[in-house]
Amino acid sequence: MEMKAGAPSSDKGRRRAERRGWYTDRCILWFCIMGSMIVGITVLALANIALTELADPVHLFEVAASSEVIGSILLTFGAGANAVLILVLFGTPLAYVLARSRPSRLKGIVESIVDVPLILPHTVAGLLVYLLFMRRGWLGAPLSEIGLSFEDAYPGTVVAMLFVASPFFINTMREGFEKVPIHLENVARTLGAGTFTMFCTVTLPLSLRHMFNGAIFAWGRAIGEFAAVIMIAYYPFIISTLIYYSFATEGIRTSRSIALVVIVVSLGVFYLLRRLTRYLGRYDDRA
Amino acid sequence: MIELDQVSLALGSFLLNDISLTIGRGDYYFIVGPSGAGKTVILEAIAGLHRPNRGRILLRGDEITALPPEKRGVGLVYQDFSLFPHMDVIDNVGYGLRVRGMRRPDARREVAGLLDEFGIAHLASRYPGTLSGGEKQRVALARAIAVKPDILLLDEPLSALDPVTQERFILDLQRLNREDGLTIVQVSHSRREVRLLATRMAVIIDGCLMEEGDAGVVLNAPRSQEVASFVGIENILDGVVVRREGRYAVVDTSGLILRAVTDADVGEPVTLCIQSDDITPGISGGGPDLIAGTVVRIVENGPIAEVRVDCGVELAVAMTRRAARDLCLASGTPVTLSIEAEAIHVIRG
Repeated sequence: MEMKAGAPSSDKGRRRAERRGWYTDRCILWFCIMGSMIVGITVLALANIALTELADPVHLFEVAASSEVIGSILLTFGAGANAVLILVLFGTPLAYVLARSRPSRLKGIVESIVDVPLILPHTVAGLLVYLLFMRRGWLGAPLSEIGLSFEDAYPGTVVAMLFVASPFFINTMREGFEKVPIHLENVARTLGAGTFTMFCTVTLPLSLRHMFNGAIFAWGRAIGEFAAVIMIAYYPFIISTLIYYSFATEGIRTSRSIALVVIVVSLGVFYLLRRLTRYLGRYDDRA
Repeated sequence: MIELDQVSLALGSFLLNDISLTIGRGDYYFIVGPSGAGKTVILEAIAGLHRPNRGRILLRGDEITALPPEKRGVGLVYQDFSLFPHMDVIDNVGYGLRVRGMRRPDARREVAGLLDEFGIAHLASRYPGTLSGGEKQRVALARAIAVKPDILLLDEPLSALDPVTQERFILDLQRLNREDGLTIVQVSHSRREVRLLATRMAVIIDGCLMEEGDAGVVLNAPRSQEVASFVGIENILDGVVVRREGRYAVVDTSGLILRAVTDADVGEPVTLCIQSDDITPGISGGGPDLIAGTVVRIVENGPIAEVRVDCGVELAVAMTRRAARDLCLASGTPVTLSIEAEAIHVIRG
């Protein structure tokens, strides 16, 4: 950032500062101060838990190495990834249709339905999922007939995560498709590509960054879900449930250790994904 | 070759209304009109990107109104080049061949010759984001040509280019049309491009076809005042025929009396269209066909000077800048103008 704090305020001082190349824009300075309060809360919270836990590294290691915690983290990340995979498969076509269709009442209704999980309290979202997928639910009953059970089962976790994460993926993906110029698609069609070929060779590659970002947002939302998941699948324990259970039965100490492990693993995974995909969507041979 | 038969198409609040065009094999056909007139919509309808609400589109006599774009055999080049940013030049140009099932090595071999032809072989591995406007345009043209289209559709292809690149590109287009016999339909609102390239043309204003025909006829003898104004006839004068002298009609244009060749009857309102380069200026002299006036101002545009002369009505006179200097023309200089009656185009009614 060019702007630096603590620059002189008088004209003479300001001119001197400008000569030295560190003139401060006061407006931006205030924006930075105000913004740093938000960042500061997160940093303080992380520092608080990290410093407390690092004071007893043996306990932290015991918790981190326990099969219950490792299994729960793997279950949570796996179920989240599973939900995102389903979203990519089914949400991408929906996002494309929403991006390319002309404004209409029907489009508005579909967009509102897509956003429903965003505006609902998580318990309500969980209740909706439960009522639909429980053993006597509209979808749960026929699916349990063919052996697919959702209550207190892995599919229940996935479907709850899928429900709450879907707007994050679909809306990001739709924005990505909207940014692909329609002229590129038109040219591809006149060059001989059918709609699906055009979509696979032009539209989708140009929306990969949005697809990735949407998937990351959705995955983050999915692995962080608690209320909606426990409504239909209290067992097996996802990490949020495990932390809550641990807090309720063993107190703050163990739940805090699990929380720090989850924070470290999540940050690591997100950082790694960002690093791996940093050149996605950049097409410049000079770079 | 391609025919639009009473095509109507609504896009939101815009309406393309009852358009009928006939584009022959080997034509360099221009669709001209002001911005927002619907020129690009016509081009996209020919390409199959919009389906008409009414009317038919025929290619070689066969109806293709419902045929998808990939089956029409047309190439399309947009004003913004529309190169695929995630593909290098060779993949951009070879895209059409690849999606038609050609193997990648074969497509690359096929494309290499085309890149040479367009002088862009050295750009083969470059990405569009690093190309200049002229380079992008050549790549876009090569990409459209690679699939050997029956018709090449160009949407204002020159408007984003600098003048030097424009000249080079015009030569490319002339070569494709005249030497290779490619039918080209170009959308433009540049009169200069039309004069340089068009064999036939259509004028579209507000979604309606105003006039269609041979480019020379539409440019020099338009059928309506709107078209005359759009194609750039500088002097458009409303008047009334006051008497007839054999094949000539004498027309009073609010103070200026001019003779023109027309069958219009005495008392009939007419519009006279006079190209600025059909008016010959002189410093002095007099006679029945000479018009006396005073120079109002001179606007120099490259080698051409447009002299505005007040003769009761203001006329635009085009001459070379050198001729204007030789005549010592300046604001306030008295001049005489002569206009051949045969050079005046008359629109009746």
